[in-house]
Parts: sequence; structure tokens; C-alpha cells
Amino acid sequence: MKPLARRLTAATALLTALALASGCAKSEDEAGKPTSGAGSEGGGQVAAEPTKGAKTCTVGRYGGEKLDLSKATVGFSQSEKEANPFRIAETASIRAEAEKRGVKLLTANAQSQFSKQISDVQDLISKGADLLVIAPLNSDGWEPVLKQAASKNVPIVTVDRQINATACKDYVSFIGSDFVQQGRRAADQMIKATGGKGKVAILLGTPGNNVTTERTKGFRDRIKKKAPELDVVFQQTGEFAREKGQQVTEQLIQSKPDIDGIYAENDEMGLGAVNALKSAGRKAGDVKIVTVDGTRNAVQGVVDKWIHGVIESNPRFGPLAFSTLDDFTSGKKVGQSIVIKDGAYTPANAERDLSKAF
Amino acid sequence: MAEAVAGRIAPDRAAVHSWLQAYGVYVGVGVLLLFNVAFTDHFLSAENFRTQAVQVAPILIVALGMALAIGSEGIDLSVGSVMALSTSLVALYLGYGPWVALLATVLGGIAIGLVNGSLVAFVGVQPIVATLALMVGGRGLALVLVPQLEDVRDPGMRALGSGDLLGVPYPVLIALALVLLVGFAVRRTTFGRQLLAIGDSRPAARLAGLPVRRVLLCVYVASGALAAVAGFLATARLQASDPTSLGSLMELSAITAVVVGGTPLSGGRVRVGGTVAGAVLIQLLTATLIKHDLPPSWTQIAQAAVIVLAVYAARERGKR
Repeated sequence: MKPLARRLTAATALLTALALASGCAKSEDEAGKPTSGAGSEGGGQVAAEPTKGAKTCTVGRYGGEKLDLSKATVGFSQSEKEANPFRIAETASIRAEAEKRGVKLLTANAQSQFSKQISDVQDLISKGADLLVIAPLNSDGWEPVLKQAASKNVPIVTVDRQINATACKDYVSFIGSDFVQQGRRAADQMIKATGGKGKVAILLGTPGNNVTTERTKGFRDRIKKKAPELDVVFQQTGEFAREKGQQVTEQLIQSKPDIDGIYAENDEMGLGAVNALKSAGRKAGDVKIVTVDGTRNAVQGVVDKWIHGVIESNPRFGPLAFSTLDDFTSGKKVGQSIVIKDGAYTPANAERDLSKAF
Repeated sequence: MAEAVAGRIAPDRAAVHSWLQAYGVYVGVGVLLLFNVAFTDHFLSAENFRTQAVQVAPILIVALGMALAIGSEGIDLSVGSVMALSTSLVALYLGYGPWVALLATVLGGIAIGLVNGSLVAFVGVQPIVATLALMVGGRGLALVLVPQLEDVRDPGMRALGSGDLLGVPYPVLIALALVLLVGFAVRRTTFGRQLLAIGDSRPAARLAGLPVRRVLLCVYVASGALAAVAGFLATARLQASDPTSLGSLMELSAITAVVVGGTPLSGGRVRVGGTVAGAVLIQLLTATLIKHDLPPSWTQIAQAAVIVLAVYAARERGKR
């Protein structure tokens, strides 16, 4: 090979890869693909009934001025890549609601890097965002940005995860699900499905994640209290991924073939468990599976009887986030912590509500 | 075994350690098997062995390529990302049928291997740096191609993932065939000898007139192609294309399998049988900890302990 040719080998190879990747791809049943994640269809969020004496916030107390939301610019900072149905649906919902209200929207995605999210938010402020909606990647480390936002009187609403700061001072309010409550409701479904007796396993989410901790706590506490004869005999991480969920379930059903139920802390791991049960020759409904999220695939699993129930974790923050901002900027009281009301999919409603799944 | 007996009669530390480095992995597999037979419910069943074999197949296939890279005194960190890229390519090309999809994934793996190999062989970049670039970039590319998990419903793919021939699952058969192929290439071909000579001493190999660059290029191409096959099989088994998580941390499992299997990181030697045993050891270790429901963090700690033991054995051998 001539020296030049040698140097070009790498470039050629990379081009080959790109050609392969884009050139004449033909994926399976392109038309039949379910269009998941559209923000406009399906149920937007509804706030749960506020408990009495819940703290509220007003523009006067927060320090700022009233403004007309329809003429304002809203900045949205997303934490993770839109690579999973939850994030896709969340961003789509925010975009759809902004469009519906005719609000100018600026968006940024931190690609799971916290330092990028901080600079994203700073960028959004300097680009002229009057209000911010943030889906935080972390709970801590927000002080510098919050100070900057406060100095420019930019109200902030955080969605899906909370940040460690003072509501109505550092930020206006938090809108999100109660993950402990999701765990409790999953436990209720499991108790109903198994008759409150037998052995269940938990497929945990990523270790150290607050969603994992809270969904586990809610489930275990409820089982302990309401169904002491239901034993949690197995608890291993599936890291919120289908492949890990499948591998762990395969080990589980080998060593404990008499397992009665599996609680998967997200849909993907539950679908992995279904794969494992299918390839082990089990029948649908043999092992009761309860999952959390409400993605289309999982709800389809309920329709097909492989999954017993799905507790929803609604990602469609758009309508509630914007109505909160609207109320706030027009001088009304808004809650400091707005817990959303999540639905559930059971054999009774899964078929009818399949279109609501994301 | 003769060496072991000799070691016991004349307690020569170095000899014992050398024996441990080469054969310790088999002892480890034996101990874990005995432990499980004694203490794990339902361990001795055909279905259980089938599960373990199917789960270990992708790790083993990737580890074979890694063994070649390490044998040439290099390393290939991009294998996990190649698996992600191949799962994306499956989603893109499955419309033409599973064989075309397999061809596309292998070509993708070869392309990544050519980039890695060219950087190492012709540009002179350190293998750890060259393949690190594609470890990061490869998964990025995979996610650009297929931004989110897509289901794979093709019946042919499904059969590949969960079907079997005479009771042996396809992924296991393919892994075994590749073990024989790589074993043959290392032991019986000119390529194998040249690879080991280069791993032993690159300057000497160059002085001896060996085609150092071509051989190195082939090593990384082989590693890329093997990782692509592993990605294809993992996709078939998962029945979904999931570039976000498929193959993540696979490079660490593969390196562990190779090193624990007795292939020295200093190159010049490739133990194919040891690599198979190393992969089986990791699989059994993970399975044992999961089946006994120990906290997940223990799996990582246990794996770390095994690596430290393996490296310790290697150190003693190096001292001799």
C-alpha cells in the first residue's frame, strides 16, 4: 500500500460505515410502526387534589413581575437524550403545549451531562427566556444557576425530579409524580393478582437512583402492611433496561420456579421478564407481572395477558407546566409541590386506554 | 496436572503461580460448579445449563476478539459500542431479512475494525486511545441511526435467538464454531504465529520481516466482526434493537474473561481455552450471586476480586 492509501484506509472504512448506515436501509414494517411519544394525543396530566394547608406561591412572594404568558419566551431544559419513551413523550408534550398556546419555546438537551445542563440553562437565560421549565438531571448543584435566574427575575418550574433548594424562593414549584405512591399502587395490584399470598420478586431500577429507592420503599412497605403472607424472596437490579431484566428473570425462574409475581420498577424490565418467561415455555399469566411507566409496549402486554398491570408515570408535563406558569404570571396562587395524578392499566381498561399509553 | 503435582512435591512458588495463571480459571469454574450443585436449588437441570450457555455466548464471542487484540499487545475498548452499532444496523436492515441484516452488522463491525486497525497499525496511535475514540463515537453513531428501542418481530431473528439444533441453542452453536475457528487461527495458521510474534516483541517481528501492519489490521477487523456477531445474537435474543444499553460495559467483561483465562496483558500469548473458561467463570459468578439474591454491588466486588487474583498470579509469573 502506498503511504497516502494507508492514511486513507481509516477514512474509507468510516465512509463505508456511514454508507451502510444511511444508504439503502430498510427497516421492518416501516408503516406499521406504532408512533409512540406524540405529545398531543393521550392524557395530559392532572394534578392530584391538593392536601389542605399545602404551601402555595405567588408572584408577589417570589419576587418578580406579572407578565402575559402568551407573549413570553419559555426555555425548556431536558436532562436526558430523547432515547426512551418517557423523555420523548415529555419533550413532545412541552413542545405541543407551547405551540397550542402560541408561546415562543427555546429548548436544550443536556445529554445526561450535568455540567451541560447548567450551561444549557445559562444559555437559555441569556437567549432571553422569561420563564424556565427544567427537567433536572440531578437534585444538587443548582445554586449558581438559581442565583443567576433570580437576579434576572426568571421564574423556574421543575418537572419530574425535584431539586434541593427552597420552593417559592429559589424556584417556584415542582410538578411530578409521587414515586413512593407508585410503588404502593403497584403493591396493591400485586396483592390483588396473587390473592395476597405467595412469593414475589422485585426487578430494581438503577442502584442509587431516587426513583429506584422510592418505588422500592412504597412497594415493600405496602406489602408488609397489607399482605404479610406475600414474601419478597428476590430483589435484583435490572438497571431499568430490557436486556438486564430478561437476564435476571432467566436466573430467577431457574432457581425459583414457583415464583408467583414479579414487580418490575419500569416497563422495559417487565418486558424483559416477559421475554424470559416466553422462552422458558411459560404461559401468559403464569407469573403475575406488575410494572411502572405506561409505555405502549407494556400496555399492549396487559392486553395480551402477559402483564397483569401497569402503574402509569405520566410524562406529559406540557399542559400542567404551562397552566402553572400561566396562573403564576397572572398573579394567582400556585402550589409549591404539585403532585400529578397517575393512571393505571389493568386487564379491565388496557384495551380501551391503549391509545393513552406513551 | 503434572505440573501441579510437581509444584506440590517441590514447593516452588513461581511454578505454582505460573500454573495458577494458566489453569486457575478451570479450578475456579470447578469450585463454582461444585458450590452451586451443593447449595443452589434446581441448578442441575438442562434448562439451567441452557440459560447459562445462552447468556455467556455473546460475552464469549466478544472475548475471542479481545484475546486476539490482547495477544498482539493491544486492546479493543470499542467492542461494546460495536455491539450497539450492530443492533442499530439490524433494525435498519431487517426489512431485507435476517441474513442481509447479519451481513450489514458484520460489515459495520469490519468497518469499525478497519478504523481501529488503521489507527493502530498505520498512524501509530496507542490501541487504548484509538479504540477509546470509537468506544465513545460508536455508541453515538448507533443512537443517531436508531434513537430509541425498536422491537424486532422478524420470525427468522426470533428463531435464531431462541431456537436450537439437537437441543443446543443457535447462539451457543455459533459461539462454539467461532471458538474452534479462532483456536485454529491462533495455533495452526501463519497469521496466528505472526500475531504472537508481534505481541511478544513488535520491533523483533518487524526486523524479522513480518507483515506487522497487515496482521495488526486483521486483528482489529476480526475483533470488530466478532463483536458485531455478538451484537446480532444479543439483538435476536432480546427481540429488540436497543442501542442505548446493549453491550454496555461489554469491554470490561471481555477483558476480564481474557485476563482471568490466563492470557497475559503483555501480549505474545493467546489462550483460547482459558478465554472460554474465563467467560464461563464470570457468567457462573454472576448467576450464583443473583440466584442467591445477594446485593448487586456484590457482583461487582466479586468480579473485582477475581481480576485481582488473576493479575496477582500474572505478576508472580512475570517476576520469575
